[in-house]
Amino acid sequence: MTAELGLAGNRDDRFPGFDVLAQAKHWDVATRELIEDRLTTSGPFRFFSRVEAAAAGALFDQLLDQREEPRIPVLELIDERMAKDATDGWRYDSMPMEPDAWHQSLAALDADAVAETGRTFPGLDWDTQAGILQAIQDLGSKRWHGMPASQVWSLWTRYACTAYYSHPAAWQELGFAGPAYPRGYKNIGVDRLESFEVRDVDPELRAGAGE
Amino acid sequence: MTSVRERNGSAWLLTTRGALPLSARENMRRFADDDEVDVVIVGCGAGGSTMLQRLAHAGWRVIAIEAGPFWDPETDWVSDEAGSHGLYWTEPRVIGGADPVPLGSNNSGRGVGGSMIHYAGYVPRFHPSDFSTFSLDGVGADWPLAYDELAPYYSAIEQELPVAGDEWPWGDPHSYPHRPHPVSGNGEVFLRGSLASGIEAHVGPVAIANGRFGNRPHCIYRGFCLQGCKVNAKASPLITHLPDALAHGAEIRADTMVTGIEVDERTGQATGVRYLRDGAVHLQRARAVVIAGYSIETPRLLFNSASGRFPDGLCNDFDQVGRYLMVQGAPQTGGRFDSEVRMFKGPPPEVSSEEFYETDPSKPNKRGFSVQNVSPLPITWAEHVASQGLWGAELRKRMTDYVHWACLGSLCEFLPQADNRVTLAEETDSMGLRVARFEYTQCDNDKALVKAAQAVMERILTAAGATETMTIQRYAHLVGGARMASTERDGVVDADCRTFAVSNLYITDGSVLPTQGSANPALTIMAIAARAADRMIAGGIAG
Repeated sequence: MTAELGLAGNRDDRFPGFDVLAQAKHWDVATRELIEDRLTTSGPFRFFSRVEAAAAGALFDQLLDQREEPRIPVLELIDERMAKDATDGWRYDSMPMEPDAWHQSLAALDADAVAETGRTFPGLDWDTQAGILQAIQDLGSKRWHGMPASQVWSLWTRYACTAYYSHPAAWQELGFAGPAYPRGYKNIGVDRLESFEVRDVDPELRAGAGE
Repeated sequence: MTSVRERNGSAWLLTTRGALPLSARENMRRFADDDEVDVVIVGCGAGGSTMLQRLAHAGWRVIAIEAGPFWDPETDWVSDEAGSHGLYWTEPRVIGGADPVPLGSNNSGRGVGGSMIHYAGYVPRFHPSDFSTFSLDGVGADWPLAYDELAPYYSAIEQELPVAGDEWPWGDPHSYPHRPHPVSGNGEVFLRGSLASGIEAHVGPVAIANGRFGNRPHCIYRGFCLQGCKVNAKASPLITHLPDALAHGAEIRADTMVTGIEVDERTGQATGVRYLRDGAVHLQRARAVVIAGYSIETPRLLFNSASGRFPDGLCNDFDQVGRYLMVQGAPQTGGRFDSEVRMFKGPPPEVSSEEFYETDPSKPNKRGFSVQNVSPLPITWAEHVASQGLWGAELRKRMTDYVHWACLGSLCEFLPQADNRVTLAEETDSMGLRVARFEYTQCDNDKALVKAAQAVMERILTAAGATETMTIQRYAHLVGGARMASTERDGVVDADCRTFAVSNLYITDGSVLPTQGSANPALTIMAIAARAADRMIAGGIAG
């Protein structure tokens, strides 16, 4: 089932044979419908403009190291969230409201790229993009295009991580089985696994502490 | 004291799956706007729901008006982190100060049941010392209320939730109605580490029945407590107090935003509340008004209820409204283990230590902190990992280690300060009401406690065998903003939660707390509301 939905890919498999979606039949209806929607997210962008979507897509690929397909659709999930205005509501007094913070920060990212290379952010090679992002992160609480860099970074990573780790393919990487109602867990405690959970086979770990 | 069931029959009014029966909502009594009820309550969370149940049970005609929806756990909630965004208050707000506090998630609630829908279910009592920190330690404030006056209400609410946990040795030593739950990997690591480092830790108090209690189902240890308990095992007012309130003729008016308190300029008495429903302004008349909107919305409502008599905000004659708002410093420290902890199983906090709760005379700082295990699900854990500055391949790789991490969280008692406050921002929301602005700046004592707490958590995790640790700085909980005091110059309400300025206007939510200790506040908010209700019932309707 995982492969059919394109969840298997180039990811390091620390939990061989573990299949998040094999558990879907144990999920409650409301949760299953929500996650099925998440798996089929697509369609035209409603929040990001074409130019913004290109910049944001490249940004999210960098933040989550998604270099090739199959990708978790981070860009699509964030566009959908912003189009529904499902923001956290609050803003720092030093920042615009979230919709404007997105518009301004993506334009600023392209502006930095153009200033440095003459081309917009998505047109740059991987390492040049990474260098531009690292420079922004390194600013810490200093201003970047009129906004505190750390608060822009926080906005980007908060949304990117929320989208990425909301996806069953990401749970698959973590050995986390996702929704657990009404099934629940029977085996709680250190090193106690359910029948459907798979033990980590990380080779670095095996070579490490010599358990 | 009466038996639990006589006092509050909620658990026996639920369906066999522990849910509020649909018929209870369908048959709910409905009052008309011009029907002058005894009391109208603004907000249906910890404080408002407890008040509603107590007053309805005593035969009073009461309505609770709630901005958010009337939840049906089976269809409205999901066993999923990102999908639970609707449980939070996400209306626009502005945050500032030297240490701004993000809102709109763990410290806010929306809908019937309030933030107790998604709270962790951890319900420690305050310590007796919390009620007189100024006399004892020269910091904070003394309450106009002693611990002993609240103690019977703590016991009563602990029975009604009900609470499971070990014999509790700290503060005022007490026991719990149900035995402690079995602990998951994360709690096991905490117990092992605390034993090895000579720190006392115990299991509980968790507001999840562990044994027979009416129709409440048993916990299934699925770990999604913070997303709303679809199991109906974790206590929230939706199942612990509102069923009894509805059975006694209370009305819960959901999806309805109160925009102002009406005060008669001639008599100085509250006459009801203005509210918006389906785009139209209504006025619900009542003989007394109770505000229970929590630490941001309660002050905001008072400011937005300014009038000729109260030009700077209702009950704000002495510039007290919105002040002394507190959050707890809540650093969270993870520890990595070669074994698999799988911290996502079981209730997020199960084990805690209050050994560092009180002032340690050997330290320069006053007051203290508690330590509890916390068990972030993947999205929250990614925030923890990203806070280390990791992104890209490093973030992804570190995240794949998820099953190996245990996590502890502290609640540090930040001190009440006058300038940590809510005011109104210039901007307005979609209803045209000015939004809240919330300023926060930590004092030196606050910062010292956070450091000390992090050191203790690192010590426990390392003693348990962690090969490395990492810490994120966060905040938890909100209290204060309309505090109780002995005089009108020092606070907004008296010990009975009655406002000094308007004798038939009460506030019964977390905003009345003058100090916060290192405890999660839900139990104390409910106990204060239950006591205020008793006082109100004993006194008859004010006016």
